[in-house]
Amino acid sequence: MSICDLKPGQCGYIQSISGNKKLVKRLMALGCIEGTPVKVKLYAPLGDPIIINFRGFDLAIRKKDAMNIQLREA
Amino acid sequence: MITAALLGNPNVGKTTLFNYLTGSNQYIGNWPGVTVEKKEGYIENRVKIVDLPGIYALDTFSNEEKISKEFLEKGNVDVIVNIVDASSLNRNLYLTLQLKQFNKPIVLVLNMMDVANAKGIKINYEKLATKLGVTVIPISASKGIGVEEVKKLLESGNFFSPVNENDYHYTDDEKENYRFIEEVLAEVIVKEKIESTTIGEKIDLIVLNKYLAYPLFLLILYIIFMFTFSWVGQPLSDALDEYIISGIVALLENLLQNSSPWFSSLIIDGIVGGVGSVLVFLPIVMALFLGISFLEDSGYMARAAFIMDKIMRKIGLSGKAFIPFIIGFGCTVPAIMSARTLESEKDRKLTALLVPLMSCNARLPVYALFATIFFPGNESAITFSLYLLGVAIAILIGLLFKNTIFKKDEEPFIIELPEYKVPELRNLMLNTWEKGKGFLKKAGTIIFAMSVIVWFLSNFNFNGMTDMESSFLAHLGGVIAPVFKPMGYGTWQSAVALLTGLMAKEVVVSTMGVVYGLDLHNILAQQFTPIAAYSFLVYVLLYTPCISVIAVMRKEFGNKMMAFSVFYQLLLAWIVSFIVFNVSSLILG
Ligand SMILES: Nc1nc2c(ncn2[C@@H]2O[C@H](COP(=O)(O)OP(=O)(O)OP(=O)(O)O)[C@@H](O)[C@H]2O)c(=O)[nH]1
Repeated sequence: MSICDLKPGQCGYIQSISGNKKLVKRLMALGCIEGTPVKVKLYAPLGDPIIINFRGFDLAIRKKDAMNIQLREA
Repeated sequence: MITAALLGNPNVGKTTLFNYLTGSNQYIGNWPGVTVEKKEGYIENRVKIVDLPGIYALDTFSNEEKISKEFLEKGNVDVIVNIVDASSLNRNLYLTLQLKQFNKPIVLVLNMMDVANAKGIKINYEKLATKLGVTVIPISASKGIGVEEVKKLLESGNFFSPVNENDYHYTDDEKENYRFIEEVLAEVIVKEKIESTTIGEKIDLIVLNKYLAYPLFLLILYIIFMFTFSWVGQPLSDALDEYIISGIVALLENLLQNSSPWFSSLIIDGIVGGVGSVLVFLPIVMALFLGISFLEDSGYMARAAFIMDKIMRKIGLSGKAFIPFIIGFGCTVPAIMSARTLESEKDRKLTALLVPLMSCNARLPVYALFATIFFPGNESAITFSLYLLGVAIAILIGLLFKNTIFKKDEEPFIIELPEYKVPELRNLMLNTWEKGKGFLKKAGTIIFAMSVIVWFLSNFNFNGMTDMESSFLAHLGGVIAPVFKPMGYGTWQSAVALLTGLMAKEVVVSTMGVVYGLDLHNILAQQFTPIAAYSFLVYVLLYTPCISVIAVMRKEFGNKMMAFSVFYQLLLAWIVSFIVFNVSSLILG
């Protein structure tokens, strides 16, 4: 499942990131790597983008990009 | 001289530290070939500090990173000053690890110690220093705490020389690097309390609330607009015009009484008239930027970008680009300047090309003059229709450009939402002054030159000084006039008005005042049909705003973009004006 399947307030652990090379590199450099706990904080008023939180900071990301962040199956 | 490279993540207080270290001893320019600001500053002629763009890493393919990397490799850097957010070391140290590749001494400045302390984070500085092989200095830049130590250390040249190759563990694998950081931090940091919901999270629940987000956003914009155009900026600007500029004119008239008429005309009508008409915008520009700096520093700007992203994406821009458009209704110059804060080069360029289509303040006097003469009773409706037309055309052109010249893949959009902060007054003032100074300097030089040229053209012909009817300008107007004939306003006077309107749109009105004389209203009523008048206004709305915009465009994006922007707008204005004239003539007969 991807991070987009989480509802606001739900948490998960990152499994892998795929897709656009730039996006992957950037997210990884920010510490969005395997095993990192991540939480979906909120959805924008129009439903996109969303705010996720990991390593203690908030990041806004479009759903289209966030789809590429796979979570570990619980 | 020691060269120090200042590096860090975005929003960690880099600019604040840089300003403290170098004071007013700084020079701002652009890195060659890109629209990224280059700042250099000096401490006492002993240390040169180069402020590099805020970045998270060195290898994620952005212009900012390329610049930083190249400078570290080729810029004869003696020491890297790496500023980090002490309250968020985990992520910040990733860049630090990468910086170690360059084998230069690193001074690790732990900023935001006040925030870290409030969060109950205790850091063992010595241990951190030995573990990473760097010099560690804790500071609070915005409070000025610890800044002197950084200064002293840099001046003394007494930093660690790079220790042996084994003191760090940078690999190409992000996972490894983060594991190493976590290991180090586990030994170095003691966290005393676990935070519950922070105030920031509560603010976000309101500010980003499904129903409240947009009304609040509009309210904030409204307040900034009122501040700029009604409460503070405009009144100051009027006062400047009324007292200072007029005072200077009166003074000069007195002084130049006995000099030859051409000289006093050059000074008063040409230079003071031209430069003065631009100078009066300074308070407006500064008021607007004070408001914008406030939004930036408080942390709200990133939220505005967040809620506007979905809408802006339709015309190929990201949420952050919304801000310049709003500013554009006030004045195009600061609007283009504020496009600097956008992430990608494509966004900056597309925004700068579209923003002039927002109807700025200066076009209002032209609408007002024509609407009262040709559409009495419907002035507001006519004016409002022009504003709407500007927005509609911007959307169409945005769609066009998105699918043609800027047809690149959408950049992934990720922005960090910084924590909310109460902006520091000192920082706000510095930022605002910085913008004001830039406006004065760059727009000032071009305006100065143009004023002299226009004055010359409107007062001379080959036989020497003459009246306006037979001046170069009148001839020039006669040459251009046929271009406007298909839209019903092909007189040399309107051609000249439009031409001189490039100085500033208000000049369209004042030029007409000069060339038609005192009986302006009656003569205009005979020169234009209502349909021609409206298509003239459409032309005024859409053609290149003014010389200051051209100057800013050149400063920010270079000659090619400047030329493109000027010509596309001239063409666009002509086409739309032509359509409006001919279609309404057909319909209304
Ligand atoms: N509480 C606190 N706030 C700080 C400190 N240093 C800077 N700030 C604030 O942090 C915000 C960001 O500071 P800047 O100096 O603009 O940060 P920057 O790193 O230059 O940011 P970019 O220009 O986006 O790269 C400002 O609102 C500062 O007032 C500090 O030591 N403590």
